[in-house]
Amino acid sequence: MSTLLKREHIIYGNLTQQAYTIDTFLGAGTQGEVYRAHANGKLVAIKWYFPHYIQNDLPLRQRLENAIRKGSPDNNFLWPLELVTQPNNAGFGYVMPLRPSNFKSIVDLMRRRAEPSFSALISACLQLSESFLQLHAKGLCYRDINFNNVFFDPNTGDILICDNDNVDVNGATGAINGTPRFMAPELVRGDEPPNTESDLFSLSILLFYMLMLHHPLEGKKEAAIRCFDQSAMNRLYGTEPLFIFDPQDTSNAPVAGLHDNALVYWVLYPQFLRDVFTRAFTTGINDQHGRIRENEWRVILINLRDSLFYCGCGAQNFYDADNVKQCWACNKDLVYPPRLRINNAVVMLNHDTKLYPHHTDQTQKFNFSAPLAAVNRHPQDPNRWGLQNLGNNAWTITLADNSVKIVDSQRSVNLAAGIVINFGNTSAEINV
Amino acid sequence: MIEIIKRPGGAMANRPLHFFWLADCSGSMYGEKIEQLNYAIRNAIKPMQDVAADNPNAQVMVRAVKFSTGAQWHIATATPVEEFKWDNLSSNGVTDMGQALQLVAEQLDVSLMPERCLPPVLVLVSDGQPTDDFSAGLAALMSKPWGKKSVRIGIGIGQDADLDVLQKFIGNPEVKPLQANNAEDLVKYIRWASTVVLQAASAPASQVKDQVSTGVVPIPQAPAADIDTDDVW
Repeated sequence: MSTLLKREHIIYGNLTQQAYTIDTFLGAGTQGEVYRAHANGKLVAIKWYFPHYIQNDLPLRQRLENAIRKGSPDNNFLWPLELVTQPNNAGFGYVMPLRPSNFKSIVDLMRRRAEPSFSALISACLQLSESFLQLHAKGLCYRDINFNNVFFDPNTGDILICDNDNVDVNGATGAINGTPRFMAPELVRGDEPPNTESDLFSLSILLFYMLMLHHPLEGKKEAAIRCFDQSAMNRLYGTEPLFIFDPQDTSNAPVAGLHDNALVYWVLYPQFLRDVFTRAFTTGINDQHGRIRENEWRVILINLRDSLFYCGCGAQNFYDADNVKQCWACNKDLVYPPRLRINNAVVMLNHDTKLYPHHTDQTQKFNFSAPLAAVNRHPQDPNRWGLQNLGNNAWTITLADNSVKIVDSQRSVNLAAGIVINFGNTSAEINV
Repeated sequence: MIEIIKRPGGAMANRPLHFFWLADCSGSMYGEKIEQLNYAIRNAIKPMQDVAADNPNAQVMVRAVKFSTGAQWHIATATPVEEFKWDNLSSNGVTDMGQALQLVAEQLDVSLMPERCLPPVLVLVSDGQPTDDFSAGLAALMSKPWGKKSVRIGIGIGQDADLDVLQKFIGNPEVKPLQANNAEDLVKYIRWASTVVLQAASAPASQVKDQVSTGVVPIPQAPAADIDTDDVW
């Protein structure tokens, strides 16, 4: 096969003068080809551009140099490390970390070749929101959120974001407008260039796809299209976008037999998730100010993960204020575990639940660095469940009879109804 | 141990994409040319399958028509791309390209096509000039809604290929016929048609700014023909 670079070709890093030896061709996209290469026994990935792409994207080199100088927003990006060139070749590319093989593509998720648990899937969505927050907070715009630029570990929910060569300062003129199905309607119509707000729309699309395995605008209107061509896409995603679960307008509702995933998943998730997606694709569809920001996604996704509990069959279900009665997998009546009400959120106390500073300290929102509490079993009586204090500070608990006790570090409190735990500056009540 | 079902539902909903090869098997293809075409298509199978596997929006079905004196189905049944195999073609006879278009036009009739599809992709490969009524064949194709909506690519083999005819087949001035003057170009073009074009017809890649697209779908740029030295451009 004819590729731009060949095995054993040597290319050089512009910053380090490092010699990278090409090993294998990994794949090609519309902009160039990606190879695995090595230097000093260390494996890296190299993206090398097609000559015609370089001609079409003149600011590319400058953009990459800026990205390299700024550095990666966080550890979840396969960020450009340095430019690479080859003697007697006007082409160029860049070096980035190599993606480990345990990371699967979103396409694998859509095709059911990667099957994360709900909790791992939600963790992946959460990490995506956090990483795009870091990128946007730096004043940057990603421009091309889509299936092919995100990878995830189905076991842990860790994510990696690649193709960071379109990233530019928000508002800069770039070469890429985005990918159909993910572009905000104003971009599809050609009314606006990509910006942070259109990134937020694409992020909502990606999160909907990941959680529902379906596109939020593909309902009756999609079903009525015979040939799904460019003009059909422009209509569906640009000029007449309508959310499939728009509460005011059911003319684009999902069609049974064609859009089953949307119908299956929508009712499975708690109302608060449905509400935020509804806002994202109703008020947020045409009004850039109505887009859901990453911090809101973070709160919602953490609450969503905290609402998971297990049916006796092993399937993970979502707690939705006592509204869900039967397990989606075995159809048996669900038995809710004890749960902790912290402010407006509910954390299900499953056999494997852990609490983090995010839960126990209102000044430590989003801190998941080390667990401060874990559900455990009484050492002598396996039928008694408790919440163990894994932190250094004692908790004060108030029992149903208003008596007060102290739970020192490493001690546990019974999971009994009505107990209020004061973690320091946050209180929570156990419900059963 | 019983495997716990982690999440309900099925794979993401998608649509069929019908892909047709239209291969010239006339006498002038005899020898190296037909073998180069056989090789180029066999070479493109794996990349085509990989692209299809990475595209959750399409379910790719492949068929092939061969034309020389008359036209016949080479692969008559719409075959899922994962099962697509290529039996080598041999060559003799004239270039009844029009009849090949008639055959494809029949299959693109709304009565024979699924109700909901992605635009069909038609790749016509020829080394010469039609010997039958090409215009009638093209008119038959364009009389079918699915024919009109199809994405058409024309690849000419060698200097004698009739690029004007291929351009008429393509029917979009922005997309030019590709002229393969050597085996390597042919491999490259066949691969491009069966991967990049396939992808564009179902899940267009990142949209380049100010991209004008008047066709059914935006067709990305074809690879440049090889100049002798690898790295000169």
